[in-house]
Amino acid sequence: MKVKEPFFWVNISCGIIIMVFILLPLLEMLTAPSLSMVKETIKDKDVVRSIWLSIYTAGLAALFSFIFGTPLAYILARTNFVGKRLVESIVDLPIVIPHPVVGIAILSVAGKNHWIGEIFSDVGIRIMGSVTGIVVVLTFVGLPFYVNAVKSGFENISPRLENVSRSLGASMTSTFFRITFPLAWRSILIGIIMCSARAISEFGAVVVVAYHPMIAPVLIYERYEAYGLSYSQPVAVWLVSICLILFLVLRILTLRKGKSS
Amino acid sequence: MKKLLKLTCLLIVFACTAMAAPSSTLAEPSGKLVIFHAGSLSVPFEAMEKAFEAKYPKVDVLREAGGSQACARKISELKKPCDLMVSADFKVIDKLLIPTYANWNVRFATNQLVLCYTDKSKYANIINENNWHEILQKKDVIWGHSDPNLDPCGYRSLMVLQLAEKYYKKPGLYNAVIANRPKENIRPKSVELISLLQSGNMDYAWEYRSVAVQHKLRYISLPDDINLGNYKYDDFYSQAVVKVTGKEPGTFMDIKGDSCTYGITLVKNPPNEEAAVAFLEYLLDPKGGLKVLDDMGQPPFVPCRVSTPEMKKALPVKLQDKVEVKN
Repeated sequence: MKVKEPFFWVNISCGIIIMVFILLPLLEMLTAPSLSMVKETIKDKDVVRSIWLSIYTAGLAALFSFIFGTPLAYILARTNFVGKRLVESIVDLPIVIPHPVVGIAILSVAGKNHWIGEIFSDVGIRIMGSVTGIVVVLTFVGLPFYVNAVKSGFENISPRLENVSRSLGASMTSTFFRITFPLAWRSILIGIIMCSARAISEFGAVVVVAYHPMIAPVLIYERYEAYGLSYSQPVAVWLVSICLILFLVLRILTLRKGKSS
Repeated sequence: MKKLLKLTCLLIVFACTAMAAPSSTLAEPSGKLVIFHAGSLSVPFEAMEKAFEAKYPKVDVLREAGGSQACARKISELKKPCDLMVSADFKVIDKLLIPTYANWNVRFATNQLVLCYTDKSKYANIINENNWHEILQKKDVIWGHSDPNLDPCGYRSLMVLQLAEKYYKKPGLYNAVIANRPKENIRPKSVELISLLQSGNMDYAWEYRSVAVQHKLRYISLPDDINLGNYKYDDFYSQAVVKVTGKEPGTFMDIKGDSCTYGITLVKNPPNEEAAVAFLEYLLDPKGGLKVLDDMGQPPFVPCRVSTPEMKKALPVKLQDKVEVKN
C-alpha cells in the first residue's frame, strides 16, 4: 500500500475506529471498580470457584470437540459426498440459534418426557443443574468453531502428501497420525482456542440448564441482580483478565512452535 | 417566479401550523411507553398491552419482564429509560426506588403461592393438600423454587414451608423438606421453573397461583394460613423469616412474611409521562386492567391502595380518585 493514497488513510482510520469500539467499553468496565474492590473479590471463594469452573468446563468442551470434531473435520476437508453442504450447515447451526433456545432444546431432550432423558435418569446422569449439563451446553455452542477451524487446516494440507504415504504402504490410520495430524496440529490448537473462547463467554444457554453450580458469567449476572453493578464488575475484571492471559499464552505458544517447525 | 416561491413558502408554513395545532391541543398519548414488570405478570400485561394499544393506537407499549429486583436495578443502576415499574413485591419499590427514582407506590393486586406439578410428576396421582410436604421429602422427587436473593417468589416459597411447619405442628418439617432440595434446583426466576416442569426435568415447583392458572398447570392450593394470599393472616405470616443477601456480598438481611402484594410506580422524569398516566388510568380501572388480572387468577385490590395521604397527593391528579389510603 502506498502511504500517501487516501485509500491507505481510510483503512487506517477504519482500523482505529474498530479498536476504539472494542476497547473503550471494555476499558471502561475494567477501570470502573476500585483496586481494593478487585482485591477483595478474588478472596471470595464463590468467585474463585466460578472462574475455575468456567475454565475447566470450557476446557472439557474443547476436549470433546477435539475428540469428536477432528474426524468430522477431516471427512469434510477430504471427501465430497451428496449432502455435504447440508452437513456443513448443520455444523454451523449452533452459531445461529439464539442461546436460550439451545438451553431449552437440551433440557427438553434431557427431561423425563423424552426417552433419552428417561435413560439418563435410569443411569443416574443428570443434565439440569450439573457440571455435566454445563459441559454439554458448552460443547454444543463451541463445536462449530472447532470443526470449521480444523477443517480449513486440513484443507490446506495437500492430499498428495497423504497419497505418497499411502503409496509407500502406510495404512489410512497411520497416514493420518504420522502425516496429516502433525501438519495440522497448529490449526487444531487454534480450533481449541476458538472453541474454548466461545465456551467461556456463553451465558444464555447455560443459565437455562444450570444456574447452580455457577460458572463465572452466571455469577456475574447473579451479582449484578442481587447487589448491583459495583459488585459484578470486579468479577468480570478477573474473568476477562484471566482469559486474556490464558489465550495470549496459547497464541504465543502456537506462533513460536509454528516458526520453528 | 419569486412571488410564486414566496407564496409556496407561506402556504407550507401555514399548512404546518395547521397540522401541528390540533395535536398539541388534543394531546392524545402517543409514542413508546416502556414498562418493566415482574415475570409473573407477563401474561396479564400482554393482554393489557393489546387492550391499551387498541384504545390508544398511537402508543406502542414496550414491556420488559424480569425478576422484580432486576427490574428495579435496571432503573437505579443501568439508568435504562423506563416509564412504569411493576413489582411482584411492593416493598422492592420502597427499598430500591423511593425516594431517588420514584415518589409513590400503588398496591394493586394480590397473589398466593401454590405447588405446581404435571401429570408426569412423580406421585402426581396421590399428592393432595395434606400430604404434599411428605412427598417433597421423598428422595426420588425433584422439586425447586426460585432464587430467594433475586425473586420475591423464591423467599415466599421458603416462607410457605416455614409456616407449614407451624400450621401442621410438625417441628423440623422445614429443614427436612429443604434437605431434599439440592441447590441445583434453584432458578433465578420462578417462571423458568415451568419449562423444567413441562420438559420433565422437575417434578414440583413453587409458583404464584396466577402463573399456574395461566400456564394450565396442575397445582395444590394451600390453606389461607400459609399461602401468603390473604392479608388478614399477615400476623401469622410475619412469623416466617427468610435470610436473603444484603446490599453487598457476605451481608444478609431478614425478610418477614407478608401477603403477596403487587406494586406499581411511575419512574421520576419518565420519557413518556402522558402515555404512562393513561396506562395507569387503564390499569387501576376496575373494568380495565384490574378485570384482566382478576380473570387470570390474580385478585386485584378494588380500589387500589397507597400507604399515606401524602403519597396519594403525590399521585398524578387523574389517578387520585382511583386509590384509597389503607395499610
